[in-house]
Amino acid sequence: MIHRSNNHIGTPPEAEFCVFGWMRKNLFRNTFDSIVTISVVLFLVWIVPAVFSWMFLDAVGFSGDEALCRSSDGACWPFMREKARLILFGTYPYDQQWRAALASVLVIGLVATLIFKRMRVKWMVLLWAVGAAVFVGLMFGNVMGLPAVQTVKWNGLPVFLLLSVFSLAAAFPLGILLALARHQNNYQLLKNLAAGYIELIRGVPLLMVLFMGLFVLPMVMPRGFFLEPLFAILIALMLFHAAYFAEDIRGGLQTLESGQVEAADSLGLSYWPKVLLIVLPQAIKQSLPAIFNTLIGGYKDTSLVIIVGIHDIISTAKMAYSDPDWQRYGLEAYFFVGIWYFCSCWCLSAYGRHLEKKQDN
Amino acid sequence: MKRIATLAFGMFAITTAFGSQATAGPVLDEIKASGNIICLVNTNSPGFSSPDSKGVFQGFNTDFGRMAAAAIFGDASKADIRGIGFSDSMKTIVARKAHMASRSITSTGTRDADPGLVFPVTTFYDGQGFMVANKLNVKSASELSGAVVCAEEGSTTLLNIADWFGNRKMDYKVENIGDKTARLQAFYAGKCDVLASDFTALLSDRQLASNPADYTILPEIISNEPLTLACQPDQELEAILFWGFQVMLTAEQYGVTSQNIDAIIKDIDKQPKAVRRLFGEKGATSDMAEKLQIPANWAYNIIKQVGNYGEVYERHLGESTVFKLVRKGTPNDLSSRGGLMYAYPIR
Repeated sequence: MIHRSNNHIGTPPEAEFCVFGWMRKNLFRNTFDSIVTISVVLFLVWIVPAVFSWMFLDAVGFSGDEALCRSSDGACWPFMREKARLILFGTYPYDQQWRAALASVLVIGLVATLIFKRMRVKWMVLLWAVGAAVFVGLMFGNVMGLPAVQTVKWNGLPVFLLLSVFSLAAAFPLGILLALARHQNNYQLLKNLAAGYIELIRGVPLLMVLFMGLFVLPMVMPRGFFLEPLFAILIALMLFHAAYFAEDIRGGLQTLESGQVEAADSLGLSYWPKVLLIVLPQAIKQSLPAIFNTLIGGYKDTSLVIIVGIHDIISTAKMAYSDPDWQRYGLEAYFFVGIWYFCSCWCLSAYGRHLEKKQDN
Repeated sequence: MKRIATLAFGMFAITTAFGSQATAGPVLDEIKASGNIICLVNTNSPGFSSPDSKGVFQGFNTDFGRMAAAAIFGDASKADIRGIGFSDSMKTIVARKAHMASRSITSTGTRDADPGLVFPVTTFYDGQGFMVANKLNVKSASELSGAVVCAEEGSTTLLNIADWFGNRKMDYKVENIGDKTARLQAFYAGKCDVLASDFTALLSDRQLASNPADYTILPEIISNEPLTLACQPDQELEAILFWGFQVMLTAEQYGVTSQNIDAIIKDIDKQPKAVRRLFGEKGATSDMAEKLQIPANWAYNIIKQVGNYGEVYERHLGESTVFKLVRKGTPNDLSSRGGLMYAYPIR
């Protein structure tokens, strides 16, 4: 019997055991690693104290006033106290802003139900349709005794959420349909139409699609039906994002083994059950990173609507610091908006990672 | 659908109510029918139009929209002041989606020749100027030979500078920075000696320096930028805007302000004839009101609810604001004091 008298069996070598060991293993493993570590540490030492002192140490607290801010180097938090409502809701009538707040919370709630609650597609679609109607009713008014507020006065967060969330949510099913149309070979005309549509939309900038939507869409509406510019833009955004989603999903469709489709056929599944039960779940799983990429990119690109005169949160941030008394605090305004974007994009990205992990079982 | 119904109802109401009288302009009819006048302003022009913390537009330009509402409806709050949407305000007015714009638009020959748009009255005479740091010890723009000028490539600013320096045979170099914030940073960092821009823009830019007192705006104005109101072509509407403005100038000339107008009205018989014509019972203004079909005391409403020109100027651009824009000696002063604000006689 071989008996090792080595009493270090079962314990890791000392070099990896304590703090210095951990550092040596993870941060200074070799020369290149050490250089990277030192550079990052130097960078953090340079930046973190500066940011921290700007945000907290030198900053003027919420209860201060503009004169205090002017004499200090740090962030001006009274600016936020003064202008937060302007940045969030813009020129929406002041006493009716509770409606805009409620509408924004409603949209965020809809997104949360999508993330956290499992329900059948039918009910989810119904919930979102009702949610959209309630949103428009709340914001526009003229029902149940709420005073009317025209769409030109919708600014800031509610309009941003309306345009980003609803256009992306509606674009996804349309993108699936386009991808399926482009991927199949039985109906060549349909395939070419879908390909033509996708390539056309991908070939022009988003701004051009927005302009087209603003000018062309009202013309194709039936007589007497007035299409608000806001909803024309919503439709234009939806058509734009659908093309990008279509390509993401088509990538996933291409990874599908033909054996899956043949097995489904041999089970006697007709087209739609086959697509919904076998093809799409696998294709979407494969294209999740691409889909979330398009989602997050599209979400942020919504800000371009300022060019067509719709004032989202970035535009209202600019309005906030164009007040003559608060002109110097543009950084605080954009910081606020940046926090919103960062948090919402982080949540979306985290949800994407969670979905991917869930699929890998 | 709703808009067409409102318009139809408005037309119906007007034809029945005013059928036999002199026809007011169609745009004015539409304004009266809809109950407010749509006035377009810039969304982020400090001092001229920017929303306050409650989201209500305040500024020099917005007060002229309120002037129009006070004249037409007797209530300055009936002005629907909107930040401009897509395609600048001029195209929106030509497309008949707004009634007027008070937007620091420079009235130019080519713009005026366009049908669908009229520039009734100039509210502010602006021009291009220069800003320098005090430490350069430059007191006039004629000492700027050899300077490095921060301006935006392709803008009329550069063209004006080229004309001006060329005419005086002075050298200069251009630091071409497209983005306004970057340009300001370059100027405050000392990268260029001179910042060239519209005079009023320079004033608001100076506030962004860490110490505004370290910078001077040179007295020379090297171009003409008359900033005017714009509106849809309609004789009555144009008359209201033009003469409403003259009321504001005349009131300032005679010292009538929103604070003392009530006292003046009580004492109307002791006032100069011009004031009596403006605010009296049977004055020229009530005659005009009958012809234009606006409330008879429209001049009183304008001054009481908005103020005279000097009040509007001081409120948004004057000593009590961050701009401290001095009016004396500039074209925006009254003609009686050497400026260009010439009050047309109202009689």
